[in-house]
Amino acid sequence: MADLSITSITKRFGETPVLKGVSLDVVNGEFVSLVGPSGCGKSTLLRIIAGLEAPTTGNIALGGVDVTGTRAADRNLSMVFQSYALYPHLSVGENIAVPLRMRELNGLQRLPVVGSVMPGARAHNARIASQVSRAADMLEIAALLDRKPGQLSGGQRQRVALGRALVRNPAAFLLDEPLSNLDAKLRVQTRAEIAELHRNLAATFIYVTHDQVEAMTMSDRIAVMMDGEILQCAAPDIIYEDPDDIRVAEFIGSPKINILPLERSGTDLHLFGRSLDWHVTSATPEIMQLGLRPEALHLTQHTPRLTGRVVHFENLGSEVFAQIALDDDAMRVTLRATPAQRQMLGLGAEVGLGFDTRVGLVFDARGKRLRSVEAMVDLTSEVA
Amino acid sequence: MTRDWLKHLVLIFGAIIVLAPFYMMVSYSFKSPGEIDRGEGGFFGRQEMMIDPRCVALRQPDRADIEAARSRFPNEDDAGVQEALLTETTAACAMRPVVFNYTKAFTEAPLIRYLLNGVVVTVSIFLIQIVVALPAAYALAKLKFWGREAVFGLVLFCLLIPVHAIALPLYIMLAKLGLTNTYAALVLPWTISVFGIFLMRQFFMTVPDDLIDAARMDGMSEFAIVWRVMLPTAIPALLAFAIFSIVAHWNDYFWPRIVVTGNRDLFTPPLGLREFKGDGDGSFFGPMMATATVIVTPLIVAFLIAQRRFIEGITLSGMK
Repeated sequence: MADLSITSITKRFGETPVLKGVSLDVVNGEFVSLVGPSGCGKSTLLRIIAGLEAPTTGNIALGGVDVTGTRAADRNLSMVFQSYALYPHLSVGENIAVPLRMRELNGLQRLPVVGSVMPGARAHNARIASQVSRAADMLEIAALLDRKPGQLSGGQRQRVALGRALVRNPAAFLLDEPLSNLDAKLRVQTRAEIAELHRNLAATFIYVTHDQVEAMTMSDRIAVMMDGEILQCAAPDIIYEDPDDIRVAEFIGSPKINILPLERSGTDLHLFGRSLDWHVTSATPEIMQLGLRPEALHLTQHTPRLTGRVVHFENLGSEVFAQIALDDDAMRVTLRATPAQRQMLGLGAEVGLGFDTRVGLVFDARGKRLRSVEAMVDLTSEVA
Repeated sequence: MTRDWLKHLVLIFGAIIVLAPFYMMVSYSFKSPGEIDRGEGGFFGRQEMMIDPRCVALRQPDRADIEAARSRFPNEDDAGVQEALLTETTAACAMRPVVFNYTKAFTEAPLIRYLLNGVVVTVSIFLIQIVVALPAAYALAKLKFWGREAVFGLVLFCLLIPVHAIALPLYIMLAKLGLTNTYAALVLPWTISVFGIFLMRQFFMTVPDDLIDAARMDGMSEFAIVWRVMLPTAIPALLAFAIFSIVAHWNDYFWPRIVVTGNRDLFTPPLGLREFKGDGDGSFFGPMMATATVIVTPLIVAFLIAQRRFIEGITLSGMK
């Protein structure tokens, strides 16, 4: 168990930069997700942490010791792969035992057949067997120990891969999209199990995923990566409610956040030419973007800030999402409503939308968050 | 329906063409020389008792034999004793043609020795080929290094070189090293199989990188990965390669004929067939075909036992 510290890692494949100076500190026992669209460099970063790939520049330290040049096997990290990567010719028990056998037995003791009669092998083998069965019990796969991976279902293979990772008691667990080969139901179940495993082991987990739901539900902190950079690394609720960057706001949250153009004329802010009665100083930029989560919008008849027509409608039972084409523009916004409001949201229905001042996220034209503007807006609306 | 009928007819015709030589071989190995010459006796021959003329000739009673046997034939003179002894040897040399052919095959030439040589040579070749090809194929398929594509290009290039084109230089090299007429001469030139490297490389390309990374995380060295991970996953491809390698070298006549010049102890099974080639004293088709039958039997038996896996191997469909 150790703290992990990543300092300005860059990586290029030929001429293509994949990582552009990534720094991240993970404290012992933390669950950190690396999340981002495919090609953002999250898997490469994980492989660099694992030691399977060498960074072009930058340093990795584990427990205060620089391991940048250390080979993967000597870092004492465990990795769980998307494809599970179980050895197809070994039984489940043998698969789980491999890291221990490689670490604790010498070359002679590992020989097939004669290895078990080498001096000292018996005691080692007994210890390995007990560790394997403890890991198997923890993951409830004790009944499968004699099977081959080919005879297992996806979920069972996933558990075996986890068993192989945890049996060696590593400094940190690295998980590379471990759930993406599972079906949806199993994914939800395994998600909870991995989170529970993390709590029981109190070990450091680095979890790579492109699925923001996985990241939101399991992590202590989420690092949102895009184009080879970490845009923001914070707790899930902060990432959702208080994103630094419009790309973070757009990536996290389903359905996607609504982004509307915000204009300043004088000290007044306008949305589609309509004044919002929001007052700011003239030092703020003229063109900004307003981010509104689907749940920030609500239906209203009295002085709606937006009006439009329902063009699409998704009923999820516990909630309803409606896509509304705005009158003023070709733009569509998504509204989250309660099932009780369903009859107001028939296809083609004209609706008015309002939103609370406080929940709007203001970004500049390049996508950086403008917290100063929001503070001014909050202040003026309180006065009003 | 008619299409099926036609298909079967064509296939049966092809099967006959392929099987006819084997039929002849096995049939001749059963028949007496007279039946072979006259082309009669069906498949098994009539299996009438025949007398081996060479056996009789070799056991002609000499003076000492006649003296020794005199007590057994008290009423005969020398010529009578000789006559009696001749009758005895003739009776002793009488046997069924099938027995004659197969005992000849094993006694006239040290066929057991040849078969053992064949096993030693083919197994050594195959094992060393694997020892060379597997790490090479792994490096070509899964490791990134400068010039990898060029090296793989060379491997492909070497596939185009016919054995016969380099036989002479190889022979001269072995001769200069004083290695002709040794097992080394039979084995060494074949130990690096570019075909094996190519075949295994193509197979290793299909092995997921994750598996290799997992092995690295588990603490395996690159060599351990080759032997502990790649080898077991590559069994189907290895089987396919084993067919090509073992069949080719078990049946090879050309190369052993070149490098084994005098020493009969090193003869491989196909060279053993030469023992019965027609010399001054006539042809020995019966024993020769018996030898040929004995030589091909191990391969055919092995094929029948492993038929399903063989076909899997050849079509490379056994892979995931």
